[in-house]
Amino acid sequence: MSVTTLPDAPPADVVAPRSRRRPGRTLLGAGLIVAVLLAGLSVPYIIKDPYTMGLVLEMALLGLPALGIGFLARHLGLISLGHSAFFGAAAYSVGIAVNRWDLSLTAAVGFAVVVGTLVSLVMGVLVVRASGMGFLMLTLALSMALWQLALQTSFRPWTGAHDGLLINAGADASFLGMGPREIQDPGLFWAGVWVSLMGAALVLWLVGRSRFGVLLEGIRENEERMRFSGYGTFLPRLAAFTLTGVVASLGGALFAVNAGYISPDILGFTRAGDSLIAVLIGGPASLAGPLIGTGLFVWAQAHLNFGGNLHLFTGIALILVLVFLPGGLTGAVQRIARALRKGGSR
Amino acid sequence: MNAAQLLNGIALGSLLMVLSSGLAMIYGLRGVTNFAHGALYMSGAYLAYTLSDRLSFWAALVLVPVILAVIGVVLEMVFFRPLQHRSHIELGLITFGLALIAERLVVLIWGEKTLSVDPPPGLTGTTSVLGVDYPTYRLGIIVVALALAAILVMWLRYTRTGLYVRAASQDIETAGIMGIDVNRVSLIVVSFGAALAGLAGTLAAPYVSLDPNMGNSFLIIVLIVVVIGGIGSIGGAMVAGMGLGIIQTVSTVWSPSVAVVVPYVALVVVLLWRPQGLAGKRVS
Repeated sequence: MSVTTLPDAPPADVVAPRSRRRPGRTLLGAGLIVAVLLAGLSVPYIIKDPYTMGLVLEMALLGLPALGIGFLARHLGLISLGHSAFFGAAAYSVGIAVNRWDLSLTAAVGFAVVVGTLVSLVMGVLVVRASGMGFLMLTLALSMALWQLALQTSFRPWTGAHDGLLINAGADASFLGMGPREIQDPGLFWAGVWVSLMGAALVLWLVGRSRFGVLLEGIRENEERMRFSGYGTFLPRLAAFTLTGVVASLGGALFAVNAGYISPDILGFTRAGDSLIAVLIGGPASLAGPLIGTGLFVWAQAHLNFGGNLHLFTGIALILVLVFLPGGLTGAVQRIARALRKGGSR
Repeated sequence: MNAAQLLNGIALGSLLMVLSSGLAMIYGLRGVTNFAHGALYMSGAYLAYTLSDRLSFWAALVLVPVILAVIGVVLEMVFFRPLQHRSHIELGLITFGLALIAERLVVLIWGEKTLSVDPPPGLTGTTSVLGVDYPTYRLGIIVVALALAAILVMWLRYTRTGLYVRAASQDIETAGIMGIDVNRVSLIVVSFGAALAGLAGTLAAPYVSLDPNMGNSFLIIVLIVVVIGGIGSIGGAMVAGMGLGIIQTVSTVWSPSVAVVVPYVALVVVLLWRPQGLAGKRVS
């Protein structure tokens, strides 16, 4: 039909996002996140087994940087291998603040989030001008720089170099009203982590659907055109990058408090790759995708790691997902749902 | 600083040169950063270990690049060619997955222990260079790698295929329109790049110790070299590789702690001063 081929008729997928951005849906999503938050608080009462509870806690802790990686991929199209650096920097900061300066755990967590955020700000200044492959390579290189620094023998008094860092919070340590024994108990520590995770998810959801989120998507689609339209693109990219850095740092700080020991591996190449793979397998196109992917990854790490062959499987899974299911698991579910809806309306 | 340190730097620099020019060529053709390049280098070194054990080092020096070239053909036929219309990021991440698999396979075949390869009989001992006694084998590395770099440059500059490679890396679509069979050029480049990585691994095997992490640690330095040189620029990668190798080795003499961070500092300085790299177009 001639009407549909008119050049100034907007194509369907340009209209679609606008109609999807109804305030009702934003509120619905926010309400859903709050409901999941409240429901999730009951998890320690359902899972009695401390080992399983520990795994679930690890999923939630690693879910924080994954949320950040997913947000950058979704709204800016940037694939980051650097978020393990913010997670690790914050974890090390907790250890250094407690061991060297006798800060309380609560103050140390605050300090750690600030340090992690600063690291992400500095890295952001250096990398957000790049995109695509360049961005991936630069975030990898700079996070490896941090790993090398943590391993330096001259920093042994602070980071413990290859030995890792044991956090000596003392017998009277307390964090959010919990004593040293409760902190290490995954069931009791759960509430704080879960609230942080869902709080971060809520913030990222609302930011993604705000005016700022639309601006980011504009930059993702065509950076040059956004600049022609009078928008600065450097600061919004930097702000988004740093915001995800805050989320990842929060995860690292809470991880350090709960684990009480930091291995330099958390800054390493393998960890950086693992968290990105988890996000890609879950599918970065939705808010829940990175969390589902991270959950699956932690589960696989615990149950499929026979003979140390975990990376053989994750490598194969990554390739299969990228070749056959681009968009990850949640992307596939969304595609099926969309196809069903289309079929139903016909 | 003395001549021996400088020569060590040149030896490391020539290995970096060979590896990063292969990476830069594949990037130029397919727009993909081959994260499996470190794994190819590592496989080369491990294959050299087995072949020099069973046959001789010289046989390894010939056979390993051939085997790796075949792997390169598989890489191109199975992944790069069928998926060339996917986003480059996806393809890059697939090579990341391949690297994970390769690393694990190396552990399954050769074990996690650190292995070492003896230099070939004719090249043990030392030779006197500029007044210092220097290990002959490392001189061998320098000679072979520099000769290779020279051959590569000549090939790119003076042959018809080299012309095609340069044209395709500049603008793959236009090159295709002008009648260049881009898929054929890419096949040559990917298998050649993989062969170069295998050769670098073989050359490095008697010089470094073999462990399943050698690929990753080298890959990161090579990525930095490629970014510093300007992504996709083969000449830039060569110059940056040699420069970084020399600077890093020489700085090890006065402070090993500083030397480890040299590549990263160099990366940051170059990014601030020339975001597109020494010889490159914009980083993208």
